[in-house]
Amino acid sequence: MKFQLKRLLAQFFIFLSANLRPFGVKTGFCYPFFYCNACPSATSACPLRPLEVSVYKFIQDDNSIKWTFLLFPIAILGLIGALSGRAICGWACPIGLLQRATGKIARKFKKYPLFKKMGKHPIEQYLRYIKYINLIGLVFVTSALIGFYFTDICPIGFLTGTIPTLLLFPGKYGPSSYFWIALVIFILFLILIFLIERGWCRYFCPVGAILAPFNKISLMHITRVPEETFQKECLHCNACSNICPMGIDVVKINRDPECILCGKCIEVCPKNLIEYSRGQK
Amino acid sequence: MNKNISISIIIVFSIFLTGMFVYTDGYEDIKSSVVEVLCLSCLKLDPVTQLEYIFETANSNHHPDFVLNNLTSGIVFLHYSKDACSGCDIILPAIKELFSVEYGKEDMFQKKLTFEENTVHYYYINTDHTTDEKQQSFKIYDKDHVEGLPMVTIITLNYDHGTIKPYYTSIYGTFGSKYDTLQKRYDFLTDIISESIGLWEENNAGYEP
Ligand code: SF4
Ligand code: SF4
Ligand code: SF4
Repeated sequence: MKFQLKRLLAQFFIFLSANLRPFGVKTGFCYPFFYCNACPSATSACPLRPLEVSVYKFIQDDNSIKWTFLLFPIAILGLIGALSGRAICGWACPIGLLQRATGKIARKFKKYPLFKKMGKHPIEQYLRYIKYINLIGLVFVTSALIGFYFTDICPIGFLTGTIPTLLLFPGKYGPSSYFWIALVIFILFLILIFLIERGWCRYFCPVGAILAPFNKISLMHITRVPEETFQKECLHCNACSNICPMGIDVVKINRDPECILCGKCIEVCPKNLIEYSRGQK
Repeated sequence: MNKNISISIIIVFSIFLTGMFVYTDGYEDIKSSVVEVLCLSCLKLDPVTQLEYIFETANSNHHPDFVLNNLTSGIVFLHYSKDACSGCDIILPAIKELFSVEYGKEDMFQKKLTFEENTVHYYYINTDHTTDEKQQSFKIYDKDHVEGLPMVTIITLNYDHGTIKPYYTSIYGTFGSKYDTLQKRYDFLTDIISESIGLWEENNAGYEP
């Protein structure tokens, strides 16, 4: 079976297992990826929700931190991250699967000079830090100071929670005070993922921000063949970088925090100079 | 990064996760307060308030004893909340003002109150800090099967096929966009309580718990 088809099947199977509530399955685990517990068919909790709850109004109410809510998602994401880095983004996350589909359109835009320029602009690398700001600022700081601002406006919650609920239970729910802001953000999210391949994962996803640093220490990662062979054999055709959905300069790859271990660069390299490493290097 | 370091980190996280699973309530805490209770903030929606009184409990279980017994002397007002819930923080002040009561958000609180010279049995039920009986009552009164907080339930009495029975309504969230200020929520609750008291007064003479 073709490698990318295997990956598609894994994504599809995990999407199904994330939606087992109609069969009575409700667990106390957190998903190790981004999916909303407000989805009518959700099996588990979004990892961000317990993190927000752990510090909710910490300052205002003078509450203590709820340690189990903080440490349980970190333990789950930490274990998976230490094993395979951000592979969960490439192989499991349903929002990754969605962007795999929209990426086909985004790749067409990539051919236009404006998008080419934007992709290569030095500022692009700095934009990737927004996801860390989202994680610390929106998930933790606003929860501790004011309340649930991230979940109030989260586009993934809108996609997987709000829209299915409105469709399944017509007339039972009406917009909350944050609905319209969330709708605007959701529309911007859609535009983003159609314009830039994996745009949400690259720049904004707080779950991606938790997983990304694990690429630096994970057992499994993407690597180049030994330096000498690589230098000798690389054709500098850039096929690997061109195909990379995360916009990584694969020729220089060295435990890049953005790599989602999709394996596309491995498949495309005519000289087989890129490979999965299981901790050898 | 050396392979041994990666493996050591994996072992540390495995032990950490297993320890959390076995020795802490993390799994149960997340299940009961994130997965099983709908977060209206994640949903960005408010349930449409249907002010409809019914006899049938939501899960067909009996009304709890503390409700049945209290109904002999007045209506019962159940105020469900939880620690981390933005809607609950909006509703709390309206109810505290309505009954002139004071308590902490994480307290268990109940009081026999006088509202316009009538008895109201008020229960503040924070589902994160309550007894099993009160916890289970949430499912009994979740009339529209919303499974979300905040929820307010008012139980009164009415006549049904020859007997006087508990008759209740539950309202959810911040009561919808029609009631978007503290005063509007206050007035809305006052109207429901007055209506419930009226029904109780008409029917309590024939009530047996
Ligand atoms: S970065 Fe993308 S694939 Fe990874 S968790 Fe976030 S949305 Fe999912
Ligand atoms: S570097 Fe290779 S494996 Fe990593 S995201 Fe890019 S194409 Fe996928
Ligand atoms: S695809 Fe292979 S040969 Fe081409 S630039 Fe990348 S590593 Fe070098």
